[in-house]
Amino acid sequence: MTEPEVFADATEMRGTGTAMIELEHVDKLFGDFQALTDINLKVAAQEVVVVIGPSGSGKSTMIRCINRLEEHDAGRIVVDGTVLSNDIRNIQEIRRETGMVFQSFNLFPHLSVLDNVTLAPRKVRKMPKAKADELGMELLEMVRIPEQASKYPGQLSGGQQQRVAIARSLAMKPKVMLFDEPTSALDPEMIGEVLDTMKELARSGMTMIVVTHEMGFAREVADRVVFMADGQIVEVGTPEHFFENPREDRTKLFLSQIL
Amino acid sequence: MNATAHRSGALVWARRNLFRSPLDGALTIVFGAISLWLIYKTLSFVFVTGRWDIIRVNLRLLMIGRFPEAHVLRLVITVIGLAAWGGFLAGFIRARQVRSGRVPNSGTSLAARLGDIGMRLWLPAVVVLLLLLLSSTPGPWITVGLALIAAIIGRLVGPFAGRPKLGPVGSAVVFVGLGAVPVGLYFYVVTAVGFDDWGGFMLNLFLAACAIVLCFPLGILLALGRRSTLPLVRVVCTTYIELVRGAPLFVLLLLANVALGFFVPDSLVPSTSTRAIIVFTLFTAAYMAEIIRGGLQSVPRGQIEAAKAVGLSPVRQTGYIVLPQALRNVIPAQIGQLISLFKDTTLAGIAMGLFELLNVTTAITAQEQFRGQGLIGETITFAALMFWTVSFTMSRESQRLEKRLGVGVR
Repeated sequence: MTEPEVFADATEMRGTGTAMIELEHVDKLFGDFQALTDINLKVAAQEVVVVIGPSGSGKSTMIRCINRLEEHDAGRIVVDGTVLSNDIRNIQEIRRETGMVFQSFNLFPHLSVLDNVTLAPRKVRKMPKAKADELGMELLEMVRIPEQASKYPGQLSGGQQQRVAIARSLAMKPKVMLFDEPTSALDPEMIGEVLDTMKELARSGMTMIVVTHEMGFAREVADRVVFMADGQIVEVGTPEHFFENPREDRTKLFLSQIL
Repeated sequence: MNATAHRSGALVWARRNLFRSPLDGALTIVFGAISLWLIYKTLSFVFVTGRWDIIRVNLRLLMIGRFPEAHVLRLVITVIGLAAWGGFLAGFIRARQVRSGRVPNSGTSLAARLGDIGMRLWLPAVVVLLLLLLSSTPGPWITVGLALIAAIIGRLVGPFAGRPKLGPVGSAVVFVGLGAVPVGLYFYVVTAVGFDDWGGFMLNLFLAACAIVLCFPLGILLALGRRSTLPLVRVVCTTYIELVRGAPLFVLLLLANVALGFFVPDSLVPSTSTRAIIVFTLFTAAYMAEIIRGGLQSVPRGQIEAAKAVGLSPVRQTGYIVLPQALRNVIPAQIGQLISLFKDTTLAGIAMGLFELLNVTTAITAQEQFRGQGLIGETITFAALMFWTVSFTMSRESQRLEKRLGVGVR
C-alpha cells in the first residue's frame, strides 16, 4: 500500500490548534495478527473526528488503545500532554480525562441509573454524594431522561441505556470522548435519539473520536473523517472531500458498498 | 345444585387426570394406596405409636447439651440480646434502603408487612412453638416471650439509627457497634462456661454461624487470589483450594482432633470446638472460592472495561462492579454450600466427640429408662426436623434475597 494520501486542507488539525490526542507510529499485535500498523493521528481540542472503515479494519482497536483497554506494542500515544505508559497511575490519569461509550452500553446492571452516573465522580473524584447526585441529574437532563434516574438499566430501552452511558462518561468531566460504534446495537428507531445527543455534545465543543457506520452523522458533524482498512489509516479528509471526491481506490470501493 | 355441579366437576377432573386409560387407572390406584399407607403410618407414628416422652424428658439436653444449670441465665440473656440485635439490624437496614431510595417508604401497610414476615417465618415459628409445648418448665416460654418483645423494640429503634445521614465516623460507630453485640454476647457466655461444655442444637447452630461468617470473606479472597495476575498469589490460592477440596471433611476433622497434637505443643492446641470451627471454615472457604470464581467469570468483560474507562482503580473495579454482580449470580450455589456446612456440623459429633444434636440423640436412647426400646426413630426424627427447619428457612431466605437483588436485571 502506498503512503496514506492526505488532503491538503485536512492534514492539519481543525479546532483550536493544540493537540488533545496524538498517536505516533502506533502498532498493535494480537498474537501474530497485526491489528494496527503505523497509525499516525493528531486530534485537536474541540475537534470531532469520525473513523469509518470495514469491520476488522482496526477502528475499535485504535480508540481502545487510547484509554489502554488495549495495550499498543509500539509507538507513542499522548492524551492532553500525558504520555501513555505502563505506569498504572499514568493510565488512571488518562482514563479520568477520557470518556468512552461502548457499542453494548455496558451499564452497571446492579446500580440505579443515577448511581451509574455518579459512581465514578464519587469514588474517583471523591465528590460528596449530594453534589454528585446534583451533577448526575444535570447530566441526565442533558441526555433527556431525568425521570429514569431511580430505575435500573435493565428497565430502559437500548436508546435510553446508551444515553445513560453517555451521561456516565460525561460525569467525570472528560476532555475527550471516545465512541465505539455507539449506535450499532440499537434498533433503528432509537439511533436518532443517541445521535442527537452526540451532536449536541459536539456543538458544545467536546473533543470526540467516533467510530461509526452512520455516514449521515459523519457528513454533518465531523471536522475530519478517517478511513481505515486492514489496520492502517488509508485516507483522511474533510467530509466534503471524503464523500464527494475520495482519492484512494480502497475508499471508493468501501463507499460504493455502503452508500 | 351447586354441590352436584361441583361433584360432577370433580368427577370430570378425576377421570381426565387420574383415570384416562386403564394404565392410568391402575397407576392411580397403586400409588394412591401407597400414599395412603405412608400417610397412615406417619400419622400413627407421630400421634399414636411414637414415644415422644424421650424428647420431652431430654429436651434441654437436645437443645443446649450439658450446659451448666447455674449459667443458663447467660444463655437466656444472649437469646434476648440477639433478638434485639436482629430486630435492630432489620430496622436499620430498612431505613437505609428507604433513605437511598431503593425501597419505597410508603405503600406497604403494617398488616401487609406483618403478613410478609408471617409468610417468611411461619415454619421456624411453628417449630419453636412445638418445642415450647414440649418443655415442662416456664423458663423457655419466658425466654421466647422476652426475645419477641426485644426483637420488636429493636425493630422500632433501628430506623432511628438508620434514618439520619451517617458521616464516616457515624457509620463506623454503627458498624462496629453492630458487630460488637454478637461478639460481646459470645464472650459473656464463654467466660462463664468453656466452649467445650456447650452442646446440643445450640452447638450446631453456633459452629455453623461462626464458620459461615468466617468462610465467606476467606472464600472471596481465595477466589480473587486464584485469578490474580501475581503468580505467587495465584499458585498459593490454587494449591490451597485443590488440596482442601481433595480431602474428605470427615478426615480433616479427624486430623484436627487427633493429629494436631503431634505437630503442636499441647498448650497451644485450641479447644475441640474451636478446632471444629477452624476446619469447617477452611474447608467451606475452598468450596466457596470456586463458587465465587464461577461468579467472577460470569461477569461480562464489558463491565470491567466500562469500570476501567470511567477511571476506577483495579481495587474499586472489583469492589464496586465485579464482586457485587459475581456474588449475586451465584447466590443459589453459595447458599447450597452453607446449608451443606450447617448439616455437616453433625460430623463434628462423630469425628471429634462434640456433644452436638446428633450425638445427643444417640446418647439419650442409652439412658436407663429408654435403653433397648428402639427409640432411635423418635430421636432421629426430631434431629431431622430441627435441621430441616433451619435449612429450609435458609433456602427460602436466599430465594428472597435473590429476587430482591435481581431488581431490574432480568
